[in-house]
Amino acid sequence: MTTSTIDDLASGCHSLVLRLPDTADAQRLLSGVTPGPVHVWRTEVPAGSDEPTGRDRRRAESLRPLHRDGPPLRAVALQYTDGATDLVLVAVRTVIPPAALLRIARTVLDGSGDPLPPVPAAATRPAPVQRGRLDWGLGDPRLLGVTGSTRIDLTSLPAGAERFLPAAIALAVSRYSGGDPTALGVLDLENGPGEDIGVHALDAPRQGTIADLLHRLDQPPTAPQEPPPVGVVLSPAFEDGTYTACLAPVFPLTVQLDRGCALATCWFDQGIVDATVARQFCGHVAHLAGQLAAGDAQRPQVGLELLPQAEQAALLQAGRAGADGDSVPVRGRIDRAFEAVAAKQPQAVALVADEEELTYRQLDERAEAVAAGLRALDVPPGSRIGVCLDRDAELVVTLLGVLKADCAYVPMDPRYPAQRLSFTTCNAELPVVITTAAEFPAEPGTRVLTPQEVARPAAKGAAAGPGRRPAGEKGHQGDDPAYVIYTSGSTGTPKGVVVPHRNVLALLRATERDFALGPDDTWTLFHSSAFDFSVWEMWGCLLTGGRLIVVPYWTTRDTDEFYTLLAEQRVTVLNQTPSAFAQLIRHDQHARRQLALRLVIFGGEPLDARMLAPWFARHPATDCRLVNMFGITETTVHVTAQTVTPHEVVTGSRSVGRPLPGWSVSVRDEQGRVLPPGPAGEIYVGGAGVADRYLGLPELTRQRFVVDETTGERVYRSGDKGRLRPDGRLDHLGRLDNQVKIRGHRIELDEIRAVLMGAPHVTAAAVVVNRDQPDDPAGSRIDAYVVLTTAAEADRAQVLAHARATLPDYMMPATLTPVSEIPLTINGKPDTSKLPDPRAAAPAGLPEARQPVEAEAASGAVPDALADTVLSIWSKQLNTPVKPQDNFFVLGGNSLLVVRVLAEMRERNLPKVSLKQFYRHSTAAEFTELVRQLQDSSH
Amino acid sequence: MRLTGKTAIVTGAARGLGRACALTFAAEGADLLLLDIAQDLDGVPYPLGTAGQLEHTADLCRQAGAATVTAAVDVRDARQCARAVDQALDRFGRVDVLVNNAGIASPSGKVAHDISEREWSLMIDVDLSGAWRMMKAVAPAMVQRRSGSIINVSSTAGTVGYRHFASYVAAKHGLIGLTRAAALDYAPVQVRVNALCPGSVRDDPVLEGRMLAEIARSLEVSVDDHERIFVRDQPMNALIEPSDIANAALWLATDESRQVTGSVLTVDGGFTSR
Repeated sequence: MTTSTIDDLASGCHSLVLRLPDTADAQRLLSGVTPGPVHVWRTEVPAGSDEPTGRDRRRAESLRPLHRDGPPLRAVALQYTDGATDLVLVAVRTVIPPAALLRIARTVLDGSGDPLPPVPAAATRPAPVQRGRLDWGLGDPRLLGVTGSTRIDLTSLPAGAERFLPAAIALAVSRYSGGDPTALGVLDLENGPGEDIGVHALDAPRQGTIADLLHRLDQPPTAPQEPPPVGVVLSPAFEDGTYTACLAPVFPLTVQLDRGCALATCWFDQGIVDATVARQFCGHVAHLAGQLAAGDAQRPQVGLELLPQAEQAALLQAGRAGADGDSVPVRGRIDRAFEAVAAKQPQAVALVADEEELTYRQLDERAEAVAAGLRALDVPPGSRIGVCLDRDAELVVTLLGVLKADCAYVPMDPRYPAQRLSFTTCNAELPVVITTAAEFPAEPGTRVLTPQEVARPAAKGAAAGPGRRPAGEKGHQGDDPAYVIYTSGSTGTPKGVVVPHRNVLALLRATERDFALGPDDTWTLFHSSAFDFSVWEMWGCLLTGGRLIVVPYWTTRDTDEFYTLLAEQRVTVLNQTPSAFAQLIRHDQHARRQLALRLVIFGGEPLDARMLAPWFARHPATDCRLVNMFGITETTVHVTAQTVTPHEVVTGSRSVGRPLPGWSVSVRDEQGRVLPPGPAGEIYVGGAGVADRYLGLPELTRQRFVVDETTGERVYRSGDKGRLRPDGRLDHLGRLDNQVKIRGHRIELDEIRAVLMGAPHVTAAAVVVNRDQPDDPAGSRIDAYVVLTTAAEADRAQVLAHARATLPDYMMPATLTPVSEIPLTINGKPDTSKLPDPRAAAPAGLPEARQPVEAEAASGAVPDALADTVLSIWSKQLNTPVKPQDNFFVLGGNSLLVVRVLAEMRERNLPKVSLKQFYRHSTAAEFTELVRQLQDSSH
Repeated sequence: MRLTGKTAIVTGAARGLGRACALTFAAEGADLLLLDIAQDLDGVPYPLGTAGQLEHTADLCRQAGAATVTAAVDVRDARQCARAVDQALDRFGRVDVLVNNAGIASPSGKVAHDISEREWSLMIDVDLSGAWRMMKAVAPAMVQRRSGSIINVSSTAGTVGYRHFASYVAAKHGLIGLTRAAALDYAPVQVRVNALCPGSVRDDPVLEGRMLAEIARSLEVSVDDHERIFVRDQPMNALIEPSDIANAALWLATDESRQVTGSVLTVDGGFTSR
């Protein structure tokens, strides 16, 4: 690998190095070869011609471009200490084309060259090429303009493999681009002195045979609108000397192929293509060329292998982080691991919830009472128990109790609509649901009990009582399911992910040492138990002896209160979605209180590291470590970890880091074949975190949890798009399908669409996610479009009512716009880009609620300064005009926008409104009245 | 190798600071065009660099692995300057660094009103206008590539006065003015211009003996006292070595100083800070 710096003219220059015969006088021989005088520069090289210094100098000289205003040919005689002399000729290709250079070479070597045609007085010199982008190149922008080079060695391949090189490059480019239509540039230097770049369009190679591809490349290339990022320079054969067709890449990634030569050179702009990626690309081109040369032309292109088997195996190995210390699989149960911690520190505080505080022993005893109660109900071990409780001490007690009873818990958020709760209850076949919600939907075969009804204070020492399985039984290996968490499903219905105990213990083993988790830590249980982030919060804390602060629901929605809690409870380990943390950062800018945080873990949605700049300004990375983690419910919360430092902030990194010890990551193409670093593909996850299955969905389980043919390992196809970097880190690029994450919630747009389609009078529907500000995740908004059978406004209200009854709040569309039809692409898929702007349509408010507003406006209501202030704040945050009767949430308001409204009110010295009050006074008129009362009462 | 693939032009390269810069650049991988007047100059009372000394510098650079081209150039002649730069562009395709080192220290030793018109003009022509002519010849190629570093070797006499050296002090002050103005001219195209102000430099007595004697004479001190006085006056109590200047020039030549332009870098053991 050598580098040189690209000059404007460098890609338009070529060079030839000739070993001069002993007796040759270069100056004399060259005197007649060009019309103008040629000056031969004599340069002494203080080394022998075969010594490394000699070779380096020869190479440097042959890559040294000409100056724009200088002569079109430079001749340098390199005189080595061993008496040898090389003549290095560098010329402008358009002025002295390869054929002319060839004649000069003949003249110099044996005097046989024909006279040269006169060089045009003002020969055109090529303009600098445009440099395109290459997503998989991973170049370093700081190196833009620096040339790298590497070789493609075909000598070990079947004879004639070089004939297939253009086809091999075309195939490699196509595979690297994930099958997207792409193009291969061609510059044929044998084609006269022309510098015209041609281009071959490349479609996805799914259908065609090798013969089809070869035929396509035999056709004359078309003129490109702009040069493609990858191209081939075909140069004539030079019998003597070393010929270089371009001194800088003509295309950002250029392969120079000399006719009849089994060695090709790859030149690349390091600002666009990383050197490791370029070398690897060349290796894959060679591998493909070998297969093309050896294979049957009627084989389908898709059957060709991009990576040799050994490289695939090496990549899989590299994507598997070594288990810490030993590779023995982690075994054990969550409840047993908890009991071990409780035995070690019975008096330590385990749980803090509101006024309540439980030591490890108290928590253990109360959970044991739940387990005893379940056993007394004759719930057989291995049953799934529904738990639908708000965030309080009882929730943790109950979940632990379920595990102690050898059952798996199925968490349900009490704020889910009844329909979703019913679905989960039936789908998971829950014999018992433990809940305090009086209105929990009754299902036949399911007993709905309160925690008090279940718990049965056990006699002392009951933890080892008769109801327990004796230690050493199979279940203690941790293969039993610990929980089933429901996630959004691509079929339109949620699906239950069954996760065994040992996965959670493996997660702790993988992180405990690196994060230095221990009894001195205080964690928060911030997230809903139905979101698997809570699994990490709860068991991450309690299995490492920490103190767990259960954050009440209303506090999780109120940044002010939550910040106070963090400070008062001296929380050290915090888990947040980036959206929620963005609110915390905003608050942090004005906060006076000291935080004790030492570790913040991001999960649940992609992190844009740039949002962390203000945080780092106040909290040095040495005081509080920030870790971005990529994970999926199906792989037990987390998969990879990337410590985020101000460096990542500056570079706007999308890296989610390397896999946790015991986890493995690979990126694969549509056929499930391993992809090298660079190209984007689907993220596959293997190792200790892979869940058991989807509950009751064997077919889907087979599709998503697959056995890797190479390693025999069970891996999960995440459906997430990602790319590996040469250093082994993973970039997360979002969802492959249209499943999206909004504020930590994984939402399948198809699921919302399916619900809308189920509403009366709806014949078609489309759902899209929009952001008011592209870089502001809190501004994400779901916009829905429906085609109705009638134009009645009442029908729209019915659709809304139907959706509200079925979908959890976070899945409710912010707008609902009736359209006459859903536009389609030529492939027949909905073309969301052609949907009208939802702003142009009326907000999804209830029409009957709007009429009085207009009436009131018409009657000329008295001016009201406070109401105007409230309306202006709401309008600003909702980014839409607001009238007094408008409901904040119907207009697209969400919890994060609530916090912004409250923040702005604080800035304007308006009274403090609690979140609970906000939700209870959610029309502008009600809210204004509330604020007025609060104002009055404070005077 | 901090200058691999780069080309530098050094004027006054036959000996002294110019030679030290050339050797330092060569050791860092630069290719070189070395220029010197390579003959004595009427009116300068000590011998200037010779063609033999220039070739010796070039040989030392070649031994260090630099492709090195030499030319005899009088910086008072704009055409000679332009031709030399063309040579560098033809041979190397680019010029990255220009060190304007050529200069004379005498005629000196007179109070201002005793300096003749001719003596004054000679000093300004070489020490100030010479640097401007080289800049004029090199800058277009640097502007075209939007990259380059021009280093003007001024002197402590560019920032403070010395008695009996009015024309020299004026020329070196002028060179700093040229540096600052040109830095602003070229900042938009990433071409940097900086001045280097050496204090009293220990030079090879064989090469520089008569120049130093001439300076001592102008200052009305004996040659032996001259070094003692300078050592006493430089707070670090040592003469500056040519390599100290060459290292400073190297830093200004590399991208390590990429945000440094229009600056005046003194390498004088603290002399001008007293």
